[in-house]
Amino acid sequence: MRLSRVQIKNFRNFKSLDIPLSGNTVIVGENRVGKSNFLFALRLVLDASLPDSARQLKQTDIWDECTDPNPTVEIHLDFSDFDSDEAILALLTDYRLAEDHTISRLSYVYRKKPEVSGEAQSETDYEFKVYGAGDESRGGISNSVRNKICIEILHALRDAETELGNWQTSPLRPLLDDAISKVPKETIIEVAKNVEDATAQVTNITSIKDLESSLTSKISTLTGPMNDVNAKFGIAPTNPQRLFRSVRMLIDNGKRGISDASLGSANLVLLTLKLAEYEWLRTKNDQNFTIMCIEEPEAHLHPHLQRTVFKKLFESSKDEPLCLLMTTHSPNIASVAQLNSIVVLKQENGLGTVGHSLASLALQPELMEDLQRYLDTTRAEILFAKGVIFVEGDAEEALMPVFSKTLNINLDDLGISVCNVGGVNFDPYVRLARSLSLPFCIITDWDPLTGKQPLGINRLLSLIQLNNELKNEEQMSETEKQELSNDEEKLKSLGMENGIFCNNSTLEIEVAETPELGTALLEVIQAQNFGSVRQQRIESWKNGESPINGEQLLSMISDIGKGRLAGKLSEASIGLNPPEYIKVALEYISNNVQS
Amino acid sequence: MSSRSLFQQTLEEMDGNPQQIEAVQEKGHCVVLAGPGSGKTRTLTTAIARALLDDVVEPRGIACVTYNNECALELEGKLLKIGIEPSDRIFIGTVHSFAYSQIILPYARCVYKDFPIEPQIATLQQTKQSKLNSFQVVTGKPIIQNNTWKTAELIRRTVVNRNSENWNNQDKGIIAIINSYENDLRKNGLIDFEDMPLLAARLVIENEWIREAMHAKYPVLFIDEYQDLGTALHELVLQLCFKSNIRLFAVGDPDQSIYRFTGANPELLKSLTTYPQVKTIQLPFNYRCGTSIIEASNSALGQDRNHKAPSGTSKGLISFDKVDGNLTEQANYVIKELIPKLSENGVPLEKIAVLYRDSKDGDLLSSIAASQNIPVIRADRNALILRNNRLSRFIEACSSWITGGWKNASPSFQHLTTEAIRLVYGHTISREEQRYIETTLLGFLHKTINSTGSTHDWLLKFKEELITPWLALAKTKIDDWSTIDTMIQRTDGSMNNSDLSLLQFSGHMTNEGRLNLSTLHSSKGREFDIVILFNMNQGHFPNQYEPDNSEDMYEARRLFYVGVTRAKYELHLVFQTKHYSPWVAELYRRLRDKNQL
Repeated sequence: MRLSRVQIKNFRNFKSLDIPLSGNTVIVGENRVGKSNFLFALRLVLDASLPDSARQLKQTDIWDECTDPNPTVEIHLDFSDFDSDEAILALLTDYRLAEDHTISRLSYVYRKKPEVSGEAQSETDYEFKVYGAGDESRGGISNSVRNKICIEILHALRDAETELGNWQTSPLRPLLDDAISKVPKETIIEVAKNVEDATAQVTNITSIKDLESSLTSKISTLTGPMNDVNAKFGIAPTNPQRLFRSVRMLIDNGKRGISDASLGSANLVLLTLKLAEYEWLRTKNDQNFTIMCIEEPEAHLHPHLQRTVFKKLFESSKDEPLCLLMTTHSPNIASVAQLNSIVVLKQENGLGTVGHSLASLALQPELMEDLQRYLDTTRAEILFAKGVIFVEGDAEEALMPVFSKTLNINLDDLGISVCNVGGVNFDPYVRLARSLSLPFCIITDWDPLTGKQPLGINRLLSLIQLNNELKNEEQMSETEKQELSNDEEKLKSLGMENGIFCNNSTLEIEVAETPELGTALLEVIQAQNFGSVRQQRIESWKNGESPINGEQLLSMISDIGKGRLAGKLSEASIGLNPPEYIKVALEYISNNVQS
Repeated sequence: MSSRSLFQQTLEEMDGNPQQIEAVQEKGHCVVLAGPGSGKTRTLTTAIARALLDDVVEPRGIACVTYNNECALELEGKLLKIGIEPSDRIFIGTVHSFAYSQIILPYARCVYKDFPIEPQIATLQQTKQSKLNSFQVVTGKPIIQNNTWKTAELIRRTVVNRNSENWNNQDKGIIAIINSYENDLRKNGLIDFEDMPLLAARLVIENEWIREAMHAKYPVLFIDEYQDLGTALHELVLQLCFKSNIRLFAVGDPDQSIYRFTGANPELLKSLTTYPQVKTIQLPFNYRCGTSIIEASNSALGQDRNHKAPSGTSKGLISFDKVDGNLTEQANYVIKELIPKLSENGVPLEKIAVLYRDSKDGDLLSSIAASQNIPVIRADRNALILRNNRLSRFIEACSSWITGGWKNASPSFQHLTTEAIRLVYGHTISREEQRYIETTLLGFLHKTINSTGSTHDWLLKFKEELITPWLALAKTKIDDWSTIDTMIQRTDGSMNNSDLSLLQFSGHMTNEGRLNLSTLHSSKGREFDIVILFNMNQGHFPNQYEPDNSEDMYEARRLFYVGVTRAKYELHLVFQTKHYSPWVAELYRRLRDKNQL
C-alpha cells in the first residue's frame, strides 16, 4: 500500500494543496513553509492518539488569507495498491472512491455546523468530521483503521536522550519486555542472584558501607520510622522483573551510556529503536502499516552520516509495510532520496504554500538514473533553487557566473543554479524543472553542419514541442514545423518565447566573434605556445586581418581541452560583455525569477 | 468465547459426539446437516469461536449470516454469551443485510455509475407503483398482469447472471418488464427486497476485485439455516466461496425448509454437499425429542431419517385429541380443558406451545385465553412484539430496562445503544452521532424509569420522543419502522381492551408464566416440553392448494415435520372427530404398527 495523494484545503499555510505521492516521501522546503503543518494535517485524519479537542481546530488554524466567511478545512488522504496485503485490504476496502475503486480515501473536514444559520459567530459554531470513501453519507472511519494504520511523528525538537532514558517512553521497553518474556524463570532467578552477589560485593566495601549507613540514617531521621523508605545502595533492583528494566543501551562497547553520546548518535539510536519497535508491533499484529514521519532527520548529524544513513533507510524500507515521510532542509538527505519521492513546498503570493511533487515524473529508467545522479552530485541544488539555467557543457557552466556578474545579475542572491546537462539532451531536465514549477532557460548551440541541416533546428523544435506538452498546449502541426525549419529567424524567436536561447554556431565561435571577449579568448589561446602557423593565424584574427575560421579555432581549442580553456577564459573575461544570446538568456531568467 | 479455556471446555462437553467435534475442527469448506435437536447451534457457535481463535487474524474477520432477523437475533444472543460481539470485523445478521451493507452499499456506487447514493428499501406501495409503471411502459396499459408478473418474478429470482445465455434466452417481453421495473425503482432511489441478493450476487460475479475484498475482510463465512436460502443468495455464496477463497461453513436441514414462498429451495443445500471440495458432516443425534416423537417425525415427513436418540432417552407421549365440534370448540378444548389439566400436573405455561398454520387460529386461541385469564405470548403476524422485527424487539428490550433491567444491566444500556445505532445508522458513526443516540435514549428511558402504567401511553411517548426524531436521521430503513404504529394500535385499550401494564409488556420475550401461541413457521428453531398441534383438520393440512406429490405438498409436510419436532416430551394433535388430516391417520397407523402408542 502507499499513500498516493494528499489534498489540503484552507488549513494553516495551505490554501489548496494537491500533490501525488509515490510511497516514501521527502518533503523539502524552507523554514516556516509549513512542513510540520503538512504532517499535522495527516495526523488530523489518521492519528488515533489525537484527542477530539485537538481535532476541533481554532479559527487561527484556517488559512490566513481566506476570505470566505464560512471556510471549510478539508484534508483528504488517498491510498493506492492496498490489495496485495489482505489485512490492509480488509481495513481499506470500505472506503473506495465511487469514481475509482482502486483508491481508498480517508478524509477530515472542519466547517460551520449545518444547523448554524448565517455566519459563524465563534469556534463553537464549527464541527469536525472524519469520514471515508470521499462521501460523508458512507459514515465515519472505524477505529480499527486508525489503530492498524499508524502514524508516528519524530518531532524536530525531540529529546532523544530523555526519551531513551525513561523506561515508560523508551521504544526499548516493549522490545525488552518481549525478549524477557522468553527467558525461563530459573535463568531470571539465577541472574537476580548473581546481581545480588555483585551488589553485596560492592556494598560490603567498607568505605561504601560507611557512606551508605550514614546516608540511610540521615534519611530515616528526616522521615521518621513510619515513613522510612529503607534506602540502600545497589547496582540494579534485585527484584527479577525490575532487574531487566535496568538493561540499558550503551555505546563504545559498553564503556559509556547514551547520555554521553553525541546528540547525533543518540538520535540515530532512537530512530533505529523506533523502527524496530514498529516492526515488532507489526509482527505481533498490533499494527499493519506504519507511516513514520521524521522531522529534520538531519538534526545533529554529520553531512556524510546523513547521506549514508538515509540512503540505507530508504532502501531497506522499500519492501516493508512502512511509509517514511521526512521533512528536511538538508541537501544531503534530498540528494540521496529517490527522485519520485521528492516533494518541494514553496510559498507563493496569494496561494499560500504550494507543493510540487516529483511522484508523477515519468521517464525512461536510464534518464531517471541520469537525473538521480545529477541530483546526487550537485547535492540536490536544483530543489532549493528559484530558477535554473540549463547549459550544454563545462565551458558554459564556468562562464555563466562571470557573464552574469558583468550584467549585474547575482545568481546566488537570486537563487539561480547553473545546470550542466553534459550534452544536448535537455528533455529530462526540462521535465524536472516543470515538475518543480521552476523558471528555467536553456542555452544551446545552433550547431551548423556542412551540407546538412543545422542540428539546432530539430533540437529547438522538439524542446518547443516538449514545452507545449508539459503546459498542456496544442502541438504544432507538421506544416508549422516545416515552416519553422525553413525560417531560422522565426524559429529562434519562438524558442526565446519558450526560454530556449540559441546562437548561430557554437559557444567558442560566438565568444571569439564577440568584441573584447573575442580578444580575451584569442589571448588565452595565444598563451598556449602553439607552433608558428597557429600563432600567425591567431595574430591575424586578432588584428582583424582575416575572418575567424571556425574549424581551425575549434581544433586549437580541442587541443587545449575545452574545460581547461573555460577555466582560463572565465578568469580573463571578468567584466567583459557576453555574446548577445547569453545576455538575453540571463536577463530572461533573472526577470522570471524576480517576477 | 474470547478465551481458549472456555473453548476447550465446550469441546470437552462435546465428548461422545465426534461429528460435532469434527465439524468444529474442520478447516476446509464444511456443510453440517443438522436435524432437529442435534446441537446445531452449539456446533456452529463453537466453530465460530475456533475460527476466531485459530484461523482469522485481526483486522480480518468473519461473517455469520442467517436467513431471517429472528434467527439472526437468536444467534447474536448465543454468541454474546460466549463473548463474541458484532464489530467492524464480526458481522452477525441476515443474509439480506449482509448483501446490502457489506456488498451493495460499499461497492455498487463504484460499479454502477448512476446507482442511487443512499438507496432506500422500497415499501410495498412503492414496489406496486413501479410494477404498474413497468407494465405501462412495456404494454402501454397501467395494469399488472398477474401471471406475467409471476413469471417475471420467478425469472428475476432464479436467473441471477444477466450475462448468461439462460438470461438471453428468456422471453424478451418478460425481460423488458423486469428491466423497466428495476429502472423505475432506481429512478426513485430505491431497491426492493429481492434486489439485495440479486445485486450483491451480480456485483460479486462480475468483479474479481470485490471477491478479493470480501475474502480479505471475511475469510470465513458462516451460514445458518442454509435451507432457507433462494437461488440468488445461493449463487452469491457459490461465488464467494468457490470463486474466491472464502471458507464456507454452512449449517442447515433440508427437511426444515419452509420458506418456498420467498424462493427458498432445499435442493440448494443438498447440491452444496455434492461439491468435491466440501466436507459434509451429518449430526446423527436428536437430543431433544422422546423416541416416539422421533418416530412420529419420520411419519410426518413421509420419509425415514436415521436420527438417533441418545441412550436413556424417554419414550415421550403422543396423544390424538379428537374434539367433537368446530374450530371454536377445538380451541375451547385446548384452552379450557387441556391447558388447565397440564397446569394441574405442574407443567409451567411457558413450557407449552400451541402451534398452528394460520395467524387467524392464533386470534381465536388468544381471545379464548383472555377470557380464561391465561396469559399468552404470541409469535405470529398478529403478535404484539414481532419476533422477526428488530425494532419491536428493541422496544421490548427498552421496556425491560426501565422496569428493573437497569439495576443489573439486563439488558445493558450499551446493548440498547448499539442496537439503536444499528437501527438508525447501520454503519460506523462519529462520536457526536453516538452521543446523540445515547443522550436521547437515556433521556427518555430515565424519564420513564420504573413506570408501571399503560404500555400504550409509553409507546406513544416512545414514538414521539425517540422514533420520530430518529426516523428523520435514519438514512436507509432496512427494518420496518411502522411496527411502532402497529404496536400502538394493538395496545389501544379503548379499541379492544388490550392495553397492558409495562411490567406485563416487558416480560414478553422471556415468556415466563405465559402460554406460547405460535405459527409453525415462527416455531422453527425453538423447543417446548409440550407441543399442541392445533387445527390438524382435513382440508386444512394439507389444503386444497397442496395436491398429492406436488412441491407445495412436500413443503407442507416439512412444515408438519417442523411442528412435530418442536416437542420434547409430549405431542398433542388436535382435530375434529372424523375430520382429521390424512397425515394424522398415517401417523397413527405407523405408531400403532411400531407399538409406539
